[in-house]
Amino acid sequence: MDASLVFAQFLSGLSRGMMLFLIASGLSLIFGVMNILNFAHATLWLVGAYFCYTFWFLMQDYGFGLWLSIPLAALVLAAIGWVIEVVLIRRVYNRELPEQLLLTYAMVLILGDLIKIIWGVEDKLIDRPPLVEGPVFIFGMPFDSYFIFVILVGLAVAVGLWWFLQKTRYGHIVRAAVFSREMVSALGIPIPRIYSGVFALGIFIAGLAGAVQAPIGSITLGMDMAVVIQAFCVVVIGGFGSLLGTFVAAMIVGEVYAFSILFWPQGALVLIFIVTAIVLIIRPWGLFGTPTRA
Amino acid sequence: MIRYWWLGLIFIAMLFLPLIIGEFWVHVAIEILILGLFAVSFNMIFGYMGQLSFGHAAYFGVGAYATGLLLVKTSVPLPVALMVSMVTAGLFALVIGYFCVRMTGIYFAILTMAFGQMLYYIIFQWYSFTGGDDGLQGIVPPEWLMSASAYYYFTLFIVTAALIVMWFISESPFGYTMRSIRENADRTRFIGINVSNYMLINFVVAGMFAGLAGGLLGPFNRSIAPDLCNWHQSGVPVFMTVIGGPLGFFGPMIGSVIYTFLFAFVTGFTEYWPLTIGLVIVFVVLFVPGGVLGLAQSKFKAFGSRDLMAETQGSTDTET
Amino acid sequence: MKFKITIIVCTLMLLGGFTIAGSSSAAEPYHLGVNLAITGTGALYCKDGVDAIKLAVEEINAKGGFLGKHSVELFVRDTHTKPDVAVREAKDLILRDKVRAILGTYSSACAVAIKPVAQEYKVLHIPAISNSENITKVNFSPYTYQVVPNSYMQAKAVVLGVAELAKKKGWKNYMTIASDYEWGRSTQNNTVALLKQLAPDLKLKKEFWPRLGETQFTSYITAIMGQKPDFVIGSVASKDNVAWIQQAKAYGFFEKIPYPGSLISVSELIVQSKSLTRGLVGLCRAPFFAHLDVPMMANFVESFKAKYGRYPSDWAVMEYDAVYVLKQGIEKAGSIDTDKVKDALKGATVDTTRGQLYFRKIDNQLSCSSYIGVVADDSKYPFPIYHDVVEVKGPDSWRPEEEIVAARAK
Repeated sequence: MDASLVFAQFLSGLSRGMMLFLIASGLSLIFGVMNILNFAHATLWLVGAYFCYTFWFLMQDYGFGLWLSIPLAALVLAAIGWVIEVVLIRRVYNRELPEQLLLTYAMVLILGDLIKIIWGVEDKLIDRPPLVEGPVFIFGMPFDSYFIFVILVGLAVAVGLWWFLQKTRYGHIVRAAVFSREMVSALGIPIPRIYSGVFALGIFIAGLAGAVQAPIGSITLGMDMAVVIQAFCVVVIGGFGSLLGTFVAAMIVGEVYAFSILFWPQGALVLIFIVTAIVLIIRPWGLFGTPTRA
Repeated sequence: MIRYWWLGLIFIAMLFLPLIIGEFWVHVAIEILILGLFAVSFNMIFGYMGQLSFGHAAYFGVGAYATGLLLVKTSVPLPVALMVSMVTAGLFALVIGYFCVRMTGIYFAILTMAFGQMLYYIIFQWYSFTGGDDGLQGIVPPEWLMSASAYYYFTLFIVTAALIVMWFISESPFGYTMRSIRENADRTRFIGINVSNYMLINFVVAGMFAGLAGGLLGPFNRSIAPDLCNWHQSGVPVFMTVIGGPLGFFGPMIGSVIYTFLFAFVTGFTEYWPLTIGLVIVFVVLFVPGGVLGLAQSKFKAFGSRDLMAETQGSTDTET
Repeated sequence: MKFKITIIVCTLMLLGGFTIAGSSSAAEPYHLGVNLAITGTGALYCKDGVDAIKLAVEEINAKGGFLGKHSVELFVRDTHTKPDVAVREAKDLILRDKVRAILGTYSSACAVAIKPVAQEYKVLHIPAISNSENITKVNFSPYTYQVVPNSYMQAKAVVLGVAELAKKKGWKNYMTIASDYEWGRSTQNNTVALLKQLAPDLKLKKEFWPRLGETQFTSYITAIMGQKPDFVIGSVASKDNVAWIQQAKAYGFFEKIPYPGSLISVSELIVQSKSLTRGLVGLCRAPFFAHLDVPMMANFVESFKAKYGRYPSDWAVMEYDAVYVLKQGIEKAGSIDTDKVKDALKGATVDTTRGQLYFRKIDNQLSCSSYIGVVADDSKYPFPIYHDVVEVKGPDSWRPEEEIVAARAK
């Protein structure tokens, strides 16, 4: 067990963590602001990946095809998110938790089959542009060059979200709405539009994450199922509504997975749930959440 | 008891079922019964106690594997295996429930889901014991239960007995304590009830009956898989309960009839079952929140004074 | 009162519904069931398989059907690559659609699961993609006929090649990476056991078991490359295999570490034609280009290409063979009665696209070959194929009968 092996696993855990952060951040944002746990978040992530594939396919002959497809896919998903919020999510704000969960769960099923109908059952494979086809060497260890891009996107999203929430007026309004919907409403700011915007933003990030994922391996049906549970765990461990918590938790989960491949490969998946359960039992509001949120 | 003579009528009608319909639909009927039992046990936590458990399939799966492993690896008779399933599921529910009943709402939901997934992955990875992803094959019921009709009657009697037991529990003082916990846990605490203990007992009982349902499933299908513990499987009783109506004892069973029948019917000519059931659920959640029973209640005012719906509606109708 | 009447009426309607829905009639057409993984990890392979079956059925129906008079009706179901779903769909096919034979499955776990169901209901079962040895070695079912080279045969073919290479290159240790399910385990176990027999000095340093359906192999790739084995043997399934090869390539895996004898089927050759590393030594089960001299194969390739616009993969070839094997069994028996057909197929010699082969009596395994070759570009095709193909014949690679008898006695 030498240092280069540890470093290699660390890097692969980092990339895995970044992907998880990209997926979980939108989920955390939506839950933090609107109190809706969006089961369909990973499915929308997958839709983002499929859209990225379609755009790339159309622009195959141009070298920049992939780099343009990624933001395009994210924008399409933002629009879809807006529509879903207005048509469906809006109707269950005042309902009980079970009904909200059921609605988003039903969306998982519906969207899953829609993907099947629109894109078919075959895997989609994106050929990587030559820039990111081969490995880069960090301290002599090979590392998938595309993951440099993933890490950059992850950091950009993290910084962008932080700046949005802390430094912009819109972000301040959103944070105020978390604190008290009534007050914000009383100030004449329309809450429904805030919610639509936040939801669309959350889905935008999900779509971006999906599009970024698309060139890694292949895009296949059912990818969302394995991911949604891990995203939930990340949000729970980090703390609902905390951006920093989501980031840290995503890194933790990514590294736990990467290293357990070495020591206890069978236990990799079980370990994540054990950690989640422990956090829920000891500190239900997560590592960085606040106890007032329930 | 006499008031429910019409339930007896339905029971007698069901005795004649295998004589009228083809073998395929007898299989469907068995499935309706097993999943209905699973859903009713779920509703003990959901409708009666007011908490959403998104990991109820854990006990269903544990029960299935307990019976399955006993039938495959030993020569224990089926009725004994079923009892072991109930006890094993109950033990798991005891351990898991101990942690879960200390919280409510979304935390309860997610913690139950986390435990359910943990169990799923443990069964999935423990290849040498459970067969892992390949599932457990070759689970055969005893000779006298090999035919579909025989297994149907067997299941019918066991499920009916289980429902009767659960009915008595829900109508007992214990059951009413559950309802008061659902309505206002703090007030219930103030009158001296140890809410956590009561919730735990209810959780364990619900788990035991889910385990019984799981135990019945294995020999019926001749095969089980870790997916029985997965969160998708946990969603099935939720769907059934919501469709049938969570506020009546038979709601989940009605939901099972509709769901299973729909499943058998729809999968006969299309592969897009998830789309179908997804749309049904969206429809029910948005427009028919009380389920079939809720709809019936609003159309026909009389439904027996000791029903949940009558309580929550504040009406005092009596049986007519 | 009104409510009770509603309940009673509803129950009666339901019973009526059951009755009407339940009444179906099976007549002279031959109902053929297909139980494949249309969604899930196996989708890539199964689409080809289903297309080939449809082609075969069309050809047969154009001549009037089986025995010239029983037109073939196809019922296709999705196993979702899950054994319990496969069992449920098999029961559906048998009880509702009244099929007499089931073709399929993709996942070996599904094949093992539906084998006893087919046996219980006396329905023929011909797996044409699943190939775990456990389908034929133990719990023998007289209704199951295997037309794919099984995992033992494939492992032996690989081992024969790898043992040679190891001697030549002086390899000392190796690692395995295999999908953690029935087929992956069976193949890996057989490979390791046979390697120990043929090259006892080789040490197995570590085993990796990604789960079936794994999409992120990064951690496995870095772990293996970090520990620098002399070579790696892979048994990664279908879709996962595509992801694995693509991701490993991004790390320069194949330049650093020899990766001989893993399953690179014609599907992978076609799908990854741009990125697949040339020079890899791979294994496959039924490459069409190895048998173009057999008229049945040449005709099949032409018809398949004409109808679907692409070349057939191993899975298409074997499912096509499965339908024609069934046809020949029916012709030998002179009837569509399942028991007569199953008896007729026992030990029978049949014509397939891969040549004239026969079923071994002890386990109903077809004497088909495994194929090893080097991935290389070819001017005739838009994708790389295998050059220097070595065909390891069935009878040279299947498990000796005494071992099977011993395994069944346990």
